[in-house]
Amino acid sequence: MRLVVVGNGVAGVTAAMAVRARDPRAEITIISGESEYFFSRTALMYAYMDVMQRRDLEPYERKVYRKQRLERRLDWVVDLDAGERTVRLMGGESLRYDRLLLATGSRGRRAAWERELDGVVRLVTLQDLDACERWTPGTQRAVVAGGGLIGVELVECLLHHRVPVTFLVREASYWPAALSAEEGAMVAAHLRAQGVDLRLETEIASLEGEGRVSGVTTRAGERIACEMVGVTIGVEPNIDWLRRVKTPPALGRGVVTDQAFRTSLPGVYAAGDCAEVAGRIEPLWYAAKRQGEAAARAMLGETVEYTPPTYYNSAKFFHLEWTGVGETAAGPGRFRKLPGREASVRVIEREGVVVGFSMLGSRWNHRVLARWVEERRRVEEVVSRLYEAQYDGEFGRVVL
Amino acid sequence: MIRNRLYHDLTNRGITGWVVAGLLVWFYMALYFTESLTPWAQRVGLSSKWDLYGLLYTVVVVAGGIGVIRKYGNNRYQVVRTAVVMFVQVVFAFSVPMMLKALHQPEYYLSYFWPLKFDYMNPEYLFAQPWPFVVYTLAASLVGVPLLGALFGKRWYCSWVCGCGGLANTAGEPWRHLSDKSSAAWRFERVSIHAVLGISLLLTGLLFYSWFSGSKSPAVAQFQTWYGLVVGSILSGAVGTGLYPLGGTRVWCRFFCPMAALLGITQKAGKRFHIRVKEDMCISCGLCSKYCEMGIDVRTYAQRNESFTRASCVGCGICAEVCPRGVLRLENQSGLVQISGVSLS
Repeated sequence: MRLVVVGNGVAGVTAAMAVRARDPRAEITIISGESEYFFSRTALMYAYMDVMQRRDLEPYERKVYRKQRLERRLDWVVDLDAGERTVRLMGGESLRYDRLLLATGSRGRRAAWERELDGVVRLVTLQDLDACERWTPGTQRAVVAGGGLIGVELVECLLHHRVPVTFLVREASYWPAALSAEEGAMVAAHLRAQGVDLRLETEIASLEGEGRVSGVTTRAGERIACEMVGVTIGVEPNIDWLRRVKTPPALGRGVVTDQAFRTSLPGVYAAGDCAEVAGRIEPLWYAAKRQGEAAARAMLGETVEYTPPTYYNSAKFFHLEWTGVGETAAGPGRFRKLPGREASVRVIEREGVVVGFSMLGSRWNHRVLARWVEERRRVEEVVSRLYEAQYDGEFGRVVL
Repeated sequence: MIRNRLYHDLTNRGITGWVVAGLLVWFYMALYFTESLTPWAQRVGLSSKWDLYGLLYTVVVVAGGIGVIRKYGNNRYQVVRTAVVMFVQVVFAFSVPMMLKALHQPEYYLSYFWPLKFDYMNPEYLFAQPWPFVVYTLAASLVGVPLLGALFGKRWYCSWVCGCGGLANTAGEPWRHLSDKSSAAWRFERVSIHAVLGISLLLTGLLFYSWFSGSKSPAVAQFQTWYGLVVGSILSGAVGTGLYPLGGTRVWCRFFCPMAALLGITQKAGKRFHIRVKEDMCISCGLCSKYCEMGIDVRTYAQRNESFTRASCVGCGICAEVCPRGVLRLENQSGLVQISGVSLS
C-alpha cells in the first residue's frame, strides 16, 4: 500500500506510525512544508521563552523516521487529483497514493481588522515562532488580542522577555467558553498579579502603522501604542488550500468525513484538527492523536466507528492550572473556592446528576472525573468522593 | 534582553558556559592535585583545603537551595526535599565532621555510605574505627541503603540526602536541562555505571581478601590508588561537577556513581517507586524530558501513557512540577489501598 500523509502534525505522524506498526510493507510518505520533522506545536511557547531549543520540540528521535521507513518531503501540496490518485507538490513532484490522509491541522483565525504589517504575530506555526522571536527585541509594548489558551501563552512569553503586554479580551469574563464568571475572575486576578494589563470587553477596531505596526485603536476609540500585536482569536481548520485543487473533497467547516474518517473522495481520509468527523471538530492534541490512530486502522480496512469520548481538557494560565471535564459551560454548578489557596472546584449538575467539572489551581485525574460523568453519578455522591480524583503531588494534596 | 542572552549563553553551552566549566575543572585540579588552596584555607582560619572546600560546598548548596525553594515554592515536595538536602549538607556533611575534628576525633560523614564513600568499606580503615561507627556504616551500607532503595526508590538518597545530588539540585539548577536525552547516551550510561559498580565491588572484595589473608599485594594497592584517582577525584569531582555547564548536573550520578547504580538496581527490583502517567493527557511538549537531569526521555513514556520506573531516576520530581498538564506524579506504591484505580498512598 502506498500511503501519503499531508501534514506532519500529531494526527498525521501518529497515523503513519500506526500504519507502519500494522503493515511492515507499506510505503509511507509524509509531506509538510512547515517543518522537516514532527514537532510539538504545544511547546512553541517554551521555545519562544528560550526554555527549549527547536530540536527539543521533536517528540521522536530523528532516527525513528529512518528505522520506521517513514519518508519525508519538505514541501507543500498544491494539487490533488482523486481520479489519477496523485498529489502534486510545489516543487513539481507528483506522488501516487492508494490511501491519502489529509491531516493539515488548524491555522490561526484571521481578524477582520488585520493588515499585513511587521510585528503582527500569531503562535501556531514554526514560522510564527520565528516571527515572534524576530520582532520581540526592541518592542516596548505588545498588544495581544483574544483570550483563548494561545493568547495567554503568548502573553506569558512576552512578559518572560520583559515586554509589557496589554491583553484585550472581547468577553466580559475571562474564557466563558469553559470558565464560570467566578473562575474567570480568579484567572483575571492571577493574570493581573503577574503584571498583565488585562482589559475585558475590549476589541481592536484597527491597526496603525506603515510597514511596522505602531499601535492599535480599540472599538471604544482608545489608542494603544505598541510594536507587536498578537492575534490569538482562535483557530480554524486549515482547509483553504483544498478549495484550489482539481478535485476538492466535500468541505464544511472542516474536511467532511464519516465516522471512519473517509472523505467524499475514494481512498482519501482526513483526521485531526482539519477534519469534521461526523459533524464534529475536536481541535485538541490528544483528540488528534486518537483520530490519527483510528484513521490508520480505517485506512487499513478495519471497521472503525469513531465517537469522541467525554470531553476533557487542561490548561495552565501562568501558574494556575485548570482541568475541565464534560460540560464545563453548562451552568454555574456547585462552585467552591478552596480555603487559603488560589484554587477552586466546580461540579456542574443537571437535575441532580453530575455533567461536568471545572477545577482551578490543583491537579485532578480527568479519567476518574470523566467516569463519574459517564456513569451519571448523583452530584451529592460525587461531591463527597471528590478526593478520589485528586492528583496533587506528594506533600501537596489540596484540602478540599 | 541582554540579561536574557547572557543567561542563555551561560546555561546553553555558550562561551560563558565553557569559561565557567573551565574554571570549575581548573579549581578541582588545583584542589585535588596541588596545595595552592591551602593558604586560602588558612587565611579564613581553616586548617586544610578540604575544610575550605567543605565550607564553599555548603555555602553554595544553601544559596542554591534558597533559590530553588523560591523558584518552586508552590510545590511542597520540592520545598520539603530541598530543605532536607540543605539540612543534611549543613549538619551531617559539614558541621558534624568539623566539630568532630575540633574535638580531635576522626571526621565522620554520616550522610555518605559505601560504595560512594569507598573507604567506609575498606576493612583496613573501617575496622580501625570505634565500634559504633563500624556498626553504623555496616548496617547503613549493607542493609539500610538497599532496603530504603527498594521501599522508596533511590530518591531517598540521591535527591534527599546525598551531597553530590544536593549540589546538583541546588546550585546546579540552571544547568539541569543540559543532560543528554538521546538513546545513545542511555546505552552508554547502562554500560558505564554498571562497569564502575563492578570495579568498585571487585576492589572491595580484593581489599577484604587482603585483609583476611593478612597480606596486600602491590597490585591491589595500586588498583586502590587508581580507583581513588580516577573515580574519586576525576570522575566525581572534575568531571561530575566541573562539567555542569556542559553536560548538565548529574554526569557523575548518571554515568559513574556506583552507589547510584546499586540504588537503581534496588529501585527497579523493589517496584514500589514509579512515575505515574495520567492517561491521554500528555501533549508531548517535552518539558519533562528537557528538565530531567538524568537524561531520561520522560516524554516518550508520557505520550505512550506508560507509567514507569527507570533505574536512573533520582525522583527529584521536577518533571512532574514543570508538566503543564499535570500528567506526571511521583508515587510510592503502598500496595495497601486501591480504590477506583487511585492509590491512596
